[in-house]
Amino acid sequence: MKRVLFLSLGLALLTPFAAAQTATRTIKINGYGGTDQALVNDLINRFVRPVMAREGVTVTYQPLQGDYNQALTTLLAAGNAGDVMYLPAETLDGFVATGKILPLNGVVNTSPFIRSLNTAFTRNGRLYAIAKDFNTLTLVYNRDLFDEAKVAYPNNNDTWSSLATKLRTLKQRLGNEYYGICLAPNWDRFGAFAYATGWQQFDSRGRTNLADPRFAEAFTWYTGLARDKVGVTPSELSAGWGGDCLKTGRVAVAIEGGWIVNFLRDNAPNLKYGTALLPKNDKTGKRGNFLYTVGWAINANTKNRAAAVKVLNLLTSAPAQQYVLEQGLAIPSRSALQNNAYFKKTDPGAQNARLVFAGADDGNVRAFTFGPQGPDWAKPINEALASVLSGQRSAADALKKAQADMTTFQRR
Amino acid sequence: MFRRGQETATAYLFLLPFLVTSAVFFFYAFGRAVYYSFTDFNLFNTPQFIGPQPYAQVLADPSFRRALANSLVFAVVTTTLQTVFALLMAVALNNRIRGMAFFRSAWYMPSITSSVVITLIFLWLFQRRGVANYLIAQLQAYGPLLLTFLTGLVLAQVLQVWLERRAGRPAGWFDPALAVVSALGAGAVTAALAFLGVVGVREVLPFDYQYFADKWVTVGGVQVLSIPLLVVIIQNTFTTVPTLMLFFLAGLQNIPGALYEAADIDGATPWQKLVHVTVPNLRPVTFYVITVGLIGTMQMFDQVAVIGSAAPRDTLITLAYYVYANTFRAGAAPVNMAAAGAIILALIILAMVFVQRRFFPSEVRP
Repeated sequence: MKRVLFLSLGLALLTPFAAAQTATRTIKINGYGGTDQALVNDLINRFVRPVMAREGVTVTYQPLQGDYNQALTTLLAAGNAGDVMYLPAETLDGFVATGKILPLNGVVNTSPFIRSLNTAFTRNGRLYAIAKDFNTLTLVYNRDLFDEAKVAYPNNNDTWSSLATKLRTLKQRLGNEYYGICLAPNWDRFGAFAYATGWQQFDSRGRTNLADPRFAEAFTWYTGLARDKVGVTPSELSAGWGGDCLKTGRVAVAIEGGWIVNFLRDNAPNLKYGTALLPKNDKTGKRGNFLYTVGWAINANTKNRAAAVKVLNLLTSAPAQQYVLEQGLAIPSRSALQNNAYFKKTDPGAQNARLVFAGADDGNVRAFTFGPQGPDWAKPINEALASVLSGQRSAADALKKAQADMTTFQRR
Repeated sequence: MFRRGQETATAYLFLLPFLVTSAVFFFYAFGRAVYYSFTDFNLFNTPQFIGPQPYAQVLADPSFRRALANSLVFAVVTTTLQTVFALLMAVALNNRIRGMAFFRSAWYMPSITSSVVITLIFLWLFQRRGVANYLIAQLQAYGPLLLTFLTGLVLAQVLQVWLERRAGRPAGWFDPALAVVSALGAGAVTAALAFLGVVGVREVLPFDYQYFADKWVTVGGVQVLSIPLLVVIIQNTFTTVPTLMLFFLAGLQNIPGALYEAADIDGATPWQKLVHVTVPNLRPVTFYVITVGLIGTMQMFDQVAVIGSAAPRDTLITLAYYVYANTFRAGAAPVNMAAAGAIILALIILAMVFVQRRFFPSEVRP
C-alpha cells in the first residue's frame, strides 16, 4: 500500500502534465471555522459533491479557524487559498485591493439575488461575490421581563422616543438588578441608528462627518439610554455581546440579528423572547439598518475557473438556499424565496427570521462596511461610544474628539 | 594543523543548525523588513521603492505614538518592579531553612505556566464582578474589625515592649514572642467589641470597578498609564520575577561568605548588608537582568493579543502589537508601515542597551 503511494507520488512529481491534471480536478473551498463548519460540510455533501463527482472533480473543504480575514489574507498572499471562498462584505475593500478576487460580471447570473446584496459586493461596477445569505438587526426582547413590569412589548411601530419610554418604565418598575437594553459601544450596532436619521457614512469625497447634527442626534439618543442605568454595556455584566446579556435574564432588550436564535436555543432554552423591528427615528419616520452579508467569491488565480464557477452556482442554488432556510440557519439571498412557507411559521425563531428578512427592505439600509481603510475607521466612533457609555465624557465632548480623530485617520 | 582545521569544521558543524535558522529567520527576515520599510509593499503588490515615506507616516500615526508611549511606560515600570522584587525574593530564598526546595519550586511556578493561560486567569480575576473587586468589597465590609484589631495589636505591642524595657530586659519592637501575645490580646478585644456590637461588619455595595476600560492615570493632563496596562504590568511582574530571581540566586552563590562575616563583625544591619555587600556584588547579574527585562518588555505582545478586544485598543497597544496589527488585516495591509514600526522598535531597544552599557558599567567595583 505504502509502496503504491510512493510510486504514485513519484510519478506525479515526475510528470508535470499529470500533476497539472490532478490539480485541475480538485476544487478547494475556504470557509469559517467553528459552528459554521458542520453546516457548510453538509451543504457541500448534499448539493456540490454529487454533481461535481460526475464530472470527475473532487471538492475539498478547508475551514479556517480563528480570525478568518487574517487566515485568508495569509493564504492569498502565499498563493494557497481555495478556489472558492467566503468573502465578508465588511472587509471586501481590503480583499479587492489584493487583485486576487475574480470579478463575477458576466461569469455568474446575478439577477436571482436580492439587489441590495449584489450592491454590497460591488465596487466600481465590478461584482466580487454572490451573497450566500444575510442578516439585519432586530430588537430581541425578553417577554417575561416586560410582562413582569407590565410594560407593552416593543413593536414595529415604535419610535426612538416611545421605545425609550418603555425601557425607562421597565427599569423603574424592576429596579436595580435589571436593565432595559444592552448597548454595545460599537459602530456595528449603533450605526443602524445613525442611518435612520439619513446620515451618510461617507460624503462624495470619501470623508466621514461626525459633526453632522443627524449623527449627533443618533449618538445622543443611543448614549442617553445609558442614563440612570436603563441601558447597560455587555462588559458591565461580564457579557461578550447582546446574546449573553439576554441570557443573564436581567436585560430586557438586545439589538441583534438572526444569529441570536440558535444561541438562545442552546444557551437559554427557557427564555421566552420576541422580535420587533428596530424603532423609527422620530423626525424622519424611518428606521436604519445594516446588511451583514458574506458571499461566495472565486480566486482570480484558480486553475480551473469553469469548475469553480460551477461550485459557486451550486452553493448558491435555489435548492441549497431552501435547505439552509428550512434548517433555520440563515436567511437566503434569493429574492424568490421571500414567500417561503418557513417565514409564515409562528415560533420565535421563524418570527425573528421574518423580521430580519423584512429589515433588509425597510428604511435606510446600508451594507455593513468600514470603507477602504478597514476596521480602524470605526475606532473613533467606538471610543466615543465607550467613553460616554462609561460616563467618562459628555456626548458633545466625545463627538468633538471623535471628529478630530476621524479627520487625522482619514488624512492618512 | 590538520587537526585544528578539523576541530574548526566540527565546531561549525555543530553550530550549523543555529547558524542556518538565524540566517533564515533573523538576518534574511531583518533584511527584508528593512527593504519593505522603504517601499509601498502591501503584501500583494510588487514592492516599489518610495524612500523614507513609510517612516514619516508611522511617526504621524496617533496609534503609533500611543504604542510608543505605552511600550516605554510598560518597559520602565515593569523592568523596575521585576528587578527589585526578583532581588528581594532571591535574598529571601537564599537562606538555609527547612522546606526551601518547596518554596523555590512554588515561587517558580508562574514562570513555567503559559502566558496565555495566566492572561486568561488575570482577565477573570479583574472582571467587573471578579475576585479583585470581591476582595476589595470584603475589605471595605470588614474594615472596622480589621482596623480595631490592628490598633489593638500596635497598642499592646508598644505597652509590652515598654514594660519589658522598664524591667531592664532587652526587647525589640518586632519581638515575635511578644507579638503573639499582642495578637491574642487584640483578637480578644476585637471579639469582645464585636460581641457588644460596638464594631461590626459594614453593609457595603459590591465594589464596581471596570479594569478593562478606557481609564488612565494622567499627569498634568497627559495620559501616561492606562488601567488595563497596569493590570498587564502586575501580571507580567508576577510571571517574570521568578525567572529573574533564578539569575540573582545564582549570582548570590558567588558572593564570598567572608564579606558577610566581615560585615557582621562590623555590626552591620541586614539592610546595610543588602545595600553595601549584596547589591554591589550582584552588579553583573543586575546588568543582565535589566537588559533582558528591557528587551522582553519592549517586545511585549502576547498579553495584548490575548486580551484583544476586551479592552479598548489604545489602552493596551504596544509597538509589537502595532506591527502585528498593521501586517495581518483583511486583504491588502500597510506592511511597509509595519516594517518601519518594527525597525524603529529595534533601534529603540538598541539605543536603550547602548545607553545602559555606556553609563552603567557591568563590572564589579574594585
